[in-house]
Amino acid sequence: MPGIEVERQILPILGSPNQGARFYNPDLPASEPFVPGHRTCAGCGPSIQYRMTSKAAGDNTILVGPTGCMYVANSSYLCTPYNVPWAHTQIGSAGSFTAGVAAAYEAMIRKGKWKGAFPNIICEAGDGSASDIGLASISGALYRNHDCLIICYDNEQYANTGIQASSRTPYGGMTTFSPPGPMVPEAKTLFPKDLARMMAAGHPHCYVATASVGYPIDLMNKVRKGLNHKGAAYLMIYTPCQKGFVYETPRSIDLGRLVVECGLYPIWEWNPDKREYDYSFRPQNMRPVSEYLKLQGRFGHLHAEHIAKLQTFANQQWKMMGIELPEALIQAADAKNLVNMATASAAEAVAQTL
Amino acid sequence: MATATEVKKRTVRINGCVASAQAAKYADVDVIAAYPIRPYTATMMALAQMVANGELDAEYIVADSEHSQLSISHGASSSGARVFTGSSGVGVQFAYELYSPISGSRMPVQMMIADRTLDPPGDFGSEHTDALSTRDMGWLMGWACDAQEAFDNHLMAYRIGEDPRVLLPQMVCQDGFFVSHITSDVELPDSGQVKEFLPPYKHPYPLDPRHPVSHGPQIMPEQGPPLQLERARAMEGAAAVIEQVHDEFAKIFGRRYDPWVEEYMTDDADVVFFLQGGHAVTARFAIQHMRDNGLKVGMVRLRTIRPYPTERVNEVLSKFKVVGVIETNMGLGSVSSGGVLYGEVCAALYESQHKPLVLSFMAGMGGEAIVLNEFYWMAKKMTEAQKRGKIEKRTHWVGFEE
Repeated sequence: MPGIEVERQILPILGSPNQGARFYNPDLPASEPFVPGHRTCAGCGPSIQYRMTSKAAGDNTILVGPTGCMYVANSSYLCTPYNVPWAHTQIGSAGSFTAGVAAAYEAMIRKGKWKGAFPNIICEAGDGSASDIGLASISGALYRNHDCLIICYDNEQYANTGIQASSRTPYGGMTTFSPPGPMVPEAKTLFPKDLARMMAAGHPHCYVATASVGYPIDLMNKVRKGLNHKGAAYLMIYTPCQKGFVYETPRSIDLGRLVVECGLYPIWEWNPDKREYDYSFRPQNMRPVSEYLKLQGRFGHLHAEHIAKLQTFANQQWKMMGIELPEALIQAADAKNLVNMATASAAEAVAQTL
Repeated sequence: MATATEVKKRTVRINGCVASAQAAKYADVDVIAAYPIRPYTATMMALAQMVANGELDAEYIVADSEHSQLSISHGASSSGARVFTGSSGVGVQFAYELYSPISGSRMPVQMMIADRTLDPPGDFGSEHTDALSTRDMGWLMGWACDAQEAFDNHLMAYRIGEDPRVLLPQMVCQDGFFVSHITSDVELPDSGQVKEFLPPYKHPYPLDPRHPVSHGPQIMPEQGPPLQLERARAMEGAAAVIEQVHDEFAKIFGRRYDPWVEEYMTDDADVVFFLQGGHAVTARFAIQHMRDNGLKVGMVRLRTIRPYPTERVNEVLSKFKVVGVIETNMGLGSVSSGGVLYGEVCAALYESQHKPLVLSFMAGMGGEAIVLNEFYWMAKKMTEAQKRGKIEKRTHWVGFEE
């Protein structure tokens, strides 16, 4: 159907995340679509991510907020932190509501009912929405290739409802739905759903990437790449939750780096043109998982065998990215070489920081 | 004002599903959210072809579920697009979560319903329980009895729902198969008439980056009631708009509908059937036949159930001695242990000075046709009650009793 041609925005890429400009870049836009005044917890990973994401997107943006922390804690009535249009939608409607917004703008611009460049349409879904109840709706939006960016802000649990296990909760993670006890000493017995790879494999025409609040410039550039990609894009972003992970509030960004350095949160991009993964992102260090685990109360109950299991999992992640494992990390995957979390410093001595 | 002689109208022979699709095309919808379930699917098939042929410029989205259909519609309507969606049976229920959020955010989404019996088991036939189960969710709702009326109702519903005094979503219902799949003559208007009748959709507060707004933020319990009251008032206030729009429709298109009830041979009637939808067509034949035999019988067909025309139902039904409610829906364990219409009728009659006797007939269940003999049988039950002056049995499952 011939109509008015839809103009798309192209946002510039900031610096290079792997070459120095990792945490600061003078080209950061001054605009703040996500302003202070919300009620999130001190050190909230998802809201740090929200600020970076919306900053990278700029003002010609529409935000969609399925039910979750970033809905409930952000938008108190008559006190909304959004300087751009924002709409709540149901927790299972993440992809579908967003698709509706995108479709509306396609049609309205084409039919001359709205004039201007196609807005950035960003959905901020928590991992409960993204990996469980809204999974099909997001898959639908990606499959149909609506011009939008769907973000899973991954705090590895349903936090807003009081810390319950989601499909993204890691093995060994304590939540109120996966508490440790004599019969289940490790708490969560299942490993997390490999959500981002699932989205890349199932929707290879989409730009898909993982990111972490530990690497803000990389995160913002991925937001911009996702928005510049004509069609659907998907980001899964590590966003620690102080309330659920139980850690010292100022350490959110530290955790965002440690989780990557310990191999528990591989950072990669899926290139939809080449149809291949890009594993060129390298953290500065590789560390044993115990260094990440010991900072968080949710792993405080783990025994040596559980930590070894998590190390095995991390080692598999490194291998998947084609990275050779140092001997110390192979050693750390054997429970005999570990002791329990109460003496995590001893575990550190076994598998030293590399 | 256009007159019938100036415009290019044409009459086509189509079924209810295609009539609905034609209405969406005439309304120049921007976004269509489809998902297959019989029998409404044929509407979306027709629209898909119209988009493929270039007859209609719209985003046609094949959704991944009815829940997604309604969420897509919610998002698109919130952005300022005119939206069309639809469903049947359990599909209507799969989307249930979205009905309150859509009416609560005052988005005039339009949904076409071709009724289908709910499971169990898989029964394709028309029963109104699917849409009726959502009747208190803040959607305007009413049934057509034929394809022409379905077409007309869609256009009127957009006009009513998008009116800034209303801003409510609409369920435009028709019986599965009896209306959706039976062809009849439908007069399609000139597009100029539709332009005159239906102005472009303009929501006062869409999601527009140039005028940022927040839709649906979290609120405190005490902030809820004012919003609920506003929604209730919108539904109440819709009544005046509905009447005005039906008037304007008659002036432009030449077809005049009573917005609330159709009365058929009620002038001197003692007993009347009270029903919704396509079975009215059979009822008219049955009534004619019974009239030939001297029985003072008529029909009152409810055209709009939300908002419910309480005063009108009271006024109309108070004229009669016996009212037989033909349910075509399930209200398990309800007031009458039959369907849900009985309660709506009786509540409207509660303050009447001349209360008729009210019977509930479980007929047309599972999508079975209500045949002439069943109408005669129901009329007999009503006249017996009239003679006795009281109800012996409130609810009858038609076809299961002598």
